[in-house]
Amino acid sequence: MTPVQVMRGLKPQYNKRLIYTRLGYDRERTSLSPELEQEVERLLTLTENTLNITAAYRMVEIKRIDSPAIVLEDDTVLSGVRLAELLDGCDQALLMLAAGGSRIMDLIHRLQEENRMSEAVVVDAAASEITDSALDIVMAHVTTLLRSRGRALTSMRFSPGYGDFEITQQRDFYRLLNGEAFGITLNEACLLIPEKSVFAIAGIGKQ
Amino acid sequence: MTKKEFKKLFHNKLIILDGGMGTLLQKLGLPSGVCPEEWAIQNTELLIKTQSQYREAGSNILYTFTFGANPIKLKEYGLSDQTFEINRLLALAARKAAGDDVWVAGDISSCGSLLWPFGEIEFEEAVESFKTQVKGLLAGGVDLFVIETMLDIQEARAALLAVKELCDLPVMVTMTYEGERTLMGSDPVSALVTLQSLGADAVGCNCSSGPAEMVSLIAQMKPYARVPLIAKPNAGKPRLEKGKTLFDMDAETFASYTTALVEAGVNGLGGCCGTTPAYIEKVAAVARDLKPVKVERKPYSLACSNRQTAAIHPSLPFTIIGERLNPTGKKALKEALLKGDMETVAELAREQVEAGAVLLDINAGVPGINEKETLVAMVNAVCNAVPAPILLDSSNAEALEAALRIYPGRAVINSISGETEKLEKLLPLAQKYGAMFVLLPVDDHGVPETAEERIAIIKKVYDRAKKLGFNKEDILVDGVVMTVASNAHGAKEALKVVAWCSGKFRANTTLGLSNVSFGLPGREAVNSAFVAMAMAKGLSTAILNPNNEQMVQTVRASDALMARDLNAVNYTSLYAGQKSGSAQPQKEKAVSKTLYEAILSGSRESAGELARLGLLSGRTAKELIDQELIPAIQKVGDFYEKKQYFLPQLIRGAEAMEKAMEVLTPELVRDSGDQPHQGTVVIATVKGDVHDIGKNIVAMLLKNYGFKVIDLGKDVDADSIIHAAKTNNADIIALSALMTTTMSQMPLVMDRMREAGLDIPMMVGGAVLDKKYAESFGAHFSNDAYGAVKLAKSLMNSK
Repeated sequence: MTPVQVMRGLKPQYNKRLIYTRLGYDRERTSLSPELEQEVERLLTLTENTLNITAAYRMVEIKRIDSPAIVLEDDTVLSGVRLAELLDGCDQALLMLAAGGSRIMDLIHRLQEENRMSEAVVVDAAASEITDSALDIVMAHVTTLLRSRGRALTSMRFSPGYGDFEITQQRDFYRLLNGEAFGITLNEACLLIPEKSVFAIAGIGKQ
Repeated sequence: MTKKEFKKLFHNKLIILDGGMGTLLQKLGLPSGVCPEEWAIQNTELLIKTQSQYREAGSNILYTFTFGANPIKLKEYGLSDQTFEINRLLALAARKAAGDDVWVAGDISSCGSLLWPFGEIEFEEAVESFKTQVKGLLAGGVDLFVIETMLDIQEARAALLAVKELCDLPVMVTMTYEGERTLMGSDPVSALVTLQSLGADAVGCNCSSGPAEMVSLIAQMKPYARVPLIAKPNAGKPRLEKGKTLFDMDAETFASYTTALVEAGVNGLGGCCGTTPAYIEKVAAVARDLKPVKVERKPYSLACSNRQTAAIHPSLPFTIIGERLNPTGKKALKEALLKGDMETVAELAREQVEAGAVLLDINAGVPGINEKETLVAMVNAVCNAVPAPILLDSSNAEALEAALRIYPGRAVINSISGETEKLEKLLPLAQKYGAMFVLLPVDDHGVPETAEERIAIIKKVYDRAKKLGFNKEDILVDGVVMTVASNAHGAKEALKVVAWCSGKFRANTTLGLSNVSFGLPGREAVNSAFVAMAMAKGLSTAILNPNNEQMVQTVRASDALMARDLNAVNYTSLYAGQKSGSAQPQKEKAVSKTLYEAILSGSRESAGELARLGLLSGRTAKELIDQELIPAIQKVGDFYEKKQYFLPQLIRGAEAMEKAMEVLTPELVRDSGDQPHQGTVVIATVKGDVHDIGKNIVAMLLKNYGFKVIDLGKDVDADSIIHAAKTNNADIIALSALMTTTMSQMPLVMDRMREAGLDIPMMVGGAVLDKKYAESFGAHFSNDAYGAVKLAKSLMNSK
């Protein structure tokens, strides 16, 4: 298991269309005035400027895969049929964390308290998408590291709560990535606080 | 090889680089998990044989197999103390493979860890680690260097400085782009401007993308390139299948993009991951019949951050340089800097950029402060907060060098004058770090009174700068404006200098604008008049307060008048709807005519006002609600269901309705003695769950649709929900849960309701729920906020 590596102050590129989709935008049907579009752009910029994204990752050996179980080198067991398919052929897993920080949650709460709910929903959707996009940076960085060793990453990643990959597995990610060190708490319901935090896993195999 | 020879190499000819090595060596036995460089040294003959294949395929330049031979990366294998020797031996091997007719480029790539502020590696630590590698490669006799596969422009800068500080050999630098930017956010033009200014002899892109994607990247760079452009694409996009990486593009298809890349402006071409000597052979065959294209370079002055380039030219819209990060005369900023409060610096940066500043002037000159440390801290704070490039406003050489060294872009030094000490100390700094500079026509005798004297200084400083490799695009000439309060001709002489610079001398210009009005009343009017006059003379930029609306509007209007904003497109978009006599841009759309329209368009401000006007016109609150508000909000819901509106529009409609209801509710209560409602709903997010934005939206909409809502908040236990429902005679309980781990609270609440004899409907919502789950414990399900309103109404109707 490699040590946890940290990346700070990330400003990921992200797909604005996905944020619009989260907000129910339909390209064929939704009509958006230029003023509202400008307002949404302003809120996206505000979200980018308020997020303080930290990411972390470590590589762990995969002992064996007996779908749906994936057994890691420290005998942690992850479970999920789709996850097992993703990691098929991989001898290592890349565990990742992206955390947007508490300032963004303060902003979202403040906007709601000030009855600016329409702004809050845009910022909330944007914060989720942009924080998740930070994992793209992690994966690209790791890809470069692996390249010289003749190894590569799966192009997809999974997060707990996806399909049959239970949300309760957040506990294992929290432990393995030392979530506490990043100011994140995990409550009894396996909810990460501050809420704009996400764990993910990808596979590492031979090139 | 000298830099001159390198430049000549690309003259009228396409240079062929080499291709991928990793896969080829794996086929020859390179195992995974070992240090590739160490293995290569242990199998030198195989390495030389493989690299020779690229020479035979037509490569003009071979890269040494030292991609990962940086001490920080080698530490993982316990080999960092052998960095020098590893690089030396691998350079020698490449030299053997290259023979006498092919050049050898010492290959440097990422140290494997991120540099501050993204990671833990300090900039100077990175520079030193690259220097160890460079020394080894030099000892192995490389002809030039290549810095490749860089995701972070700052790391590329560290490697480039490492080479520059040890030798004069040519350096090529290629960045890796995911789409249109590197993963750390640099666009191709900003990367190009930064690297070529810092001394890279060729710039380009490699890895991650296939040849098709690189056509666009090269085309973006070409109009601004002062150096050859190179590209080393992958053999298409990689995919991992059962643990193996596959590249789907064959050699024929790969080579077919050669023409497009050349037409886009590439001067040197090779291959990266997935390519083999067969690919390079085909590319070389196509390239033989092609010549590099000549593209007219844009005559702009270019400053950049790591994420954005500012182009300055009298034909372009005026460039506003924000002045508010200069503590002179600003008590609050002075105090913030004394306290080391960089959040204030970041906020000022954001405010200025939002108001239209394209560059920001940064000054740390506060008595009693460590200027060097503060300037560096300000640079980092601004870099992190905004993408705008910066002017470093200091005459302290030590502070300037520290800031220039760590700035991940191309800064502008404000300023370099004709004073002997400044020329001797600051001009070499600008040259070393590739900075632009503001040329201040002041010399050892002080500020000249007349334009003619200033012009003489300008010529003298420029001649000196030209000898160090600067050209006119690298400077902004300051006209030097003195206050007219004490110098009647202060403005006129500055305007003469601006006119001469933009006319005869053909250099960009700037002014410290607000100096002209120092000591006068009505400074805004004076400054605005002066900037308009100066722009008519060809002024390119000015340092001013971008948050001064009058000044900014004058600038924008002058852009339109001087055809720098063709057909006043930008001016119209900013100021359409502005009332005459107002200096404020109309940021909101025209006020709605009716209350119905105001709700439909989500115009909160209009809704309140129109409700008030409606009452004044004699209509009752009930009439306005029944005839305008309710039909409007229903229409909004209708549009939302049909996806003609998306969520922000639905909520804006509700917010507008809230504003109107704030005005109408007191009247309604006064008229009818009571505020009627459709029913009482107790709403909460269940215990253990702290997601509440969805619940808050439902609560808001229910209120707007006439329900009385008791919102208990989030993480609420079953007993509290039951208690509130009983106390408030609730008609409905509405619960929200977003996690599979918390949704189990809902049936628990239902059980408690039954135990308490509470026979009212429950409605539930949340991303993890569905109708089947809700019905399993007797609840009703709605899948979105508007659906919840309809469900609540339907539940009330069936009572």
